[in-house]
Amino acid sequence: MTNLILPSAMNSLRGSLADIISQGQKRAPYFSVLLSDRHSLEIVVNNREERVTERPPHAGTVLSAFDGETMRERAIAGFDRDKVNSAMQELVSGVSFAKYAPAVSAPRRGDFVTPMQTDPSTLSVQEKLDRVREMQHFAKGLDPRIVNCQMLYRESNEYSVFANPNTDVGQRVLRIVLYMFVFVAGEDGQVRYNWQSKGATGGWEQAQFSEEEMRKVIDGAVALLTAERIEPGEYQFISAPGVSGVIAHESFGHGVETDMFIKERAKAAHFIDKVVGSSLVNIYDDPSLPGAYGSFFFDDEGMESSSTQIVENGLFRRGITDFYSATALDIPRSSNGRRQDYSRKAYARMSNTFFGKGNSSLEDMIAQVDHGIYLDKWSSGMEDPKGWGIQVTCHYGHEIKGGKITDRVFAPIGISGYVPDVLGSVSAVSNQFKLDPGGCGKGHKELVSVSSGGPHLLMKARLG
Amino acid sequence: MMLQKIIEALKARNELSGWSVRHNVTREAQVYLIGQKMEAQRLTGEENFRIEVFRQKTGPDGKVGMGAGEVTLLPDGNVAEAIDTASLVADLVSNPVYSLPAPAAIPDVPLLDEDVSRDPLGALDRVTRDMLAAASKLDGARLTSAEAFAEIGTVHHVNSRGVDAEQTSSSVSLEFVVQAKKGDQEVESFRELTRRRVSDLDIESEVTRYARFTRDLLEAGAPPAWQGPVVMRNNLLATFVAGDYLSPGVLQTLGSAGAKYAKASTWEVGQSVFRGEVTGDPFTFWANRAIPYGITSDRFDLEGLPAQRVEIVRDNKVTTFAASQRYADYLSLVPTGAFGGVELSAGKWETASLLEEPYVEIALFSWFNPDNITGDFSSEIRLGYLVENGVRKPFRGGQLVGNFLDALANVRLSKETGFLGHYLGPTTARFGNLKVAG
Repeated sequence: MTNLILPSAMNSLRGSLADIISQGQKRAPYFSVLLSDRHSLEIVVNNREERVTERPPHAGTVLSAFDGETMRERAIAGFDRDKVNSAMQELVSGVSFAKYAPAVSAPRRGDFVTPMQTDPSTLSVQEKLDRVREMQHFAKGLDPRIVNCQMLYRESNEYSVFANPNTDVGQRVLRIVLYMFVFVAGEDGQVRYNWQSKGATGGWEQAQFSEEEMRKVIDGAVALLTAERIEPGEYQFISAPGVSGVIAHESFGHGVETDMFIKERAKAAHFIDKVVGSSLVNIYDDPSLPGAYGSFFFDDEGMESSSTQIVENGLFRRGITDFYSATALDIPRSSNGRRQDYSRKAYARMSNTFFGKGNSSLEDMIAQVDHGIYLDKWSSGMEDPKGWGIQVTCHYGHEIKGGKITDRVFAPIGISGYVPDVLGSVSAVSNQFKLDPGGCGKGHKELVSVSSGGPHLLMKARLG
Repeated sequence: MMLQKIIEALKARNELSGWSVRHNVTREAQVYLIGQKMEAQRLTGEENFRIEVFRQKTGPDGKVGMGAGEVTLLPDGNVAEAIDTASLVADLVSNPVYSLPAPAAIPDVPLLDEDVSRDPLGALDRVTRDMLAAASKLDGARLTSAEAFAEIGTVHHVNSRGVDAEQTSSSVSLEFVVQAKKGDQEVESFRELTRRRVSDLDIESEVTRYARFTRDLLEAGAPPAWQGPVVMRNNLLATFVAGDYLSPGVLQTLGSAGAKYAKASTWEVGQSVFRGEVTGDPFTFWANRAIPYGITSDRFDLEGLPAQRVEIVRDNKVTTFAASQRYADYLSLVPTGAFGGVELSAGKWETASLLEEPYVEIALFSWFNPDNITGDFSSEIRLGYLVENGVRKPFRGGQLVGNFLDALANVRLSKETGFLGHYLGPTTARFGNLKVAG
């Protein structure tokens, strides 16, 4: 068994969970406990200042009891046994839960820890700060037009224990993310900026930008000094992996979260086993992907992580679920019941969402485009699960003319269209694969760590 | 008492040049509905102590530098260990020296709904009942799901210069979805709003308005190719001008001393914020943390600076920047504290005169998210209207394309003003020349 070392108060309460669950279960046949401690360290260095911040931790206990219709929960800050006991008594009294009988599952025990070469907790803050300073110092000297260059390092430790009558699992998930922002000034005094992020579940070894990666960020910012607005219209375009990922995330990520099915908010509910894209389109959500930023070993409802194929060769197969929606819809669970932290509800949420790889080379794909756009970088996206409209905003894109990428740059560029039309237009999928780390909200709240990406896609949509 | 214990421990640390502590206590009720059925009900709470310590040291170049270290302590945490950690970090970091806020009069900005404070779950029960009652009157549309949250937060802020201030605030958030159906076609509208008082949610009119939008979506056609006057009103105008309150907009970014210090803002005091000729109303705005019951209002901010109403731009020219104590010291500005809400000066136009046909009115964006540094935007329109020849024709799709500051340089604003959570100002704006890419 993996040597999981939990924070001491959490570990102490874990020893009492069997008793708390036993008592809770007498009144509520579905009774579970989640212990969750999430804390992070952030280091920021730019040309003018530096900061080291321990971001406010969220540590607490969630007690859940389900009566077949309503999930009732008490979320208690910290891991005090007496407070948790008292909340358990309050939660299960006065409401009849007995009408719901959960299916009996096989006993499951286990502890899991993110594999890593160097655990950041074994390094001093000084060592981490020095690495970030070194990268920032190197990057800021790469171009005289840089007026500010910021390097951000964040390590997030997520400890959790999930327990119910048949389950007692624990995990430590360590997420590392690195951002580089660069601001450049043009001759007219205008400022343009660009950024790059890389993230993973892993150790300190992930925290490094190469010179090539840094130069790419700076080149992007400099190119924006002469960027034009694109003439709105329908274009053939190639999406970089990050842009492909946002399209997957907003269309068949948010659009297939099955809590949206029971709220009748998802058009996808009417498209199971129907065509939603070209036969080249495959979309997955996979929290078990080793090293990916959105990965975990089990979700916040105790479900062991595994891959879900959402779209298979252009056919929509299934959505991603949390416990409540899977129960209400009587469909198989996937490991996507996630919470922002202990103080928030679990919903069906994404993890690592991506298009599957294809067989084309990027060079061949570019050569197929007579007049179009290479969309380099995304900046935001918004879901529309009911209307299947797509809105993805790209920070910038390059012109493709005569099968070659030119120096002409457009910014910003919005992609819009009807999801099945856009995915139906996919005519080539590259053999490369990359994931971008990010944060995902449900509407404007409930942030969780995710990644999205995939290969390059060649397709058509309206750009403006 | 834990706060006192922390303060005593901080006072005893000779290596610190300053410190602050914030004791945060929140309690929250959450209710989730599917149709009229309760999907989930949750009660939650949180308490922590945010400690920030400062140390000064002389570098090898003889310059005095300053470092800050922050740590958050839970109620059962080890005080000495936490301060050790923060102090160690403060010793590692070196920035130009800045000061901590000194004690000052704290304005009595109203922030609390007493009913919510007494019984958050009871308040949510009334909110959801009012919402369902409003929904029961809808014709041709139905409310299908909702979430409601009520939170009470108390902050006690103390620093080493003698600031000792306390505030309690409430917030009530409501999200709901309204759907409509015609044949095979189904459409929906989603509304999220947060206010400090239940009475400011204006539930019945919000439900009714969004039901109308939803019914109009059923009739909506393709977007027109349009370049010309574009009208925005009420909540949509607030979002355009001031962002959604969770993600600040262009004005908060370019008007902040932090962005100026980072060289991300090119605004200069005394200079116009516009790059070309101003053909619309003169532009004046304030960063206002003292808007009564404003959702970005407070009595004091994270550093302990009192709430203020600060003029950032007067007649198109920058007056000052919204500056925390730190950036005020760095840029030799007067510290104003956090930005708060956006207050725009009233215009001179009757609303009716701003609705001269033809024009396009935007009712809903998918998400209005301009580039906060350049102001450029390209945002999908979820619902708009082309108003011409006495006909108001709904459309959906297409993008509103332009630049935020260029748009403000050519705008006419209504005399009529309103309070919309994080925005106080004209309720109707007519932008002279914006493009809808169909």
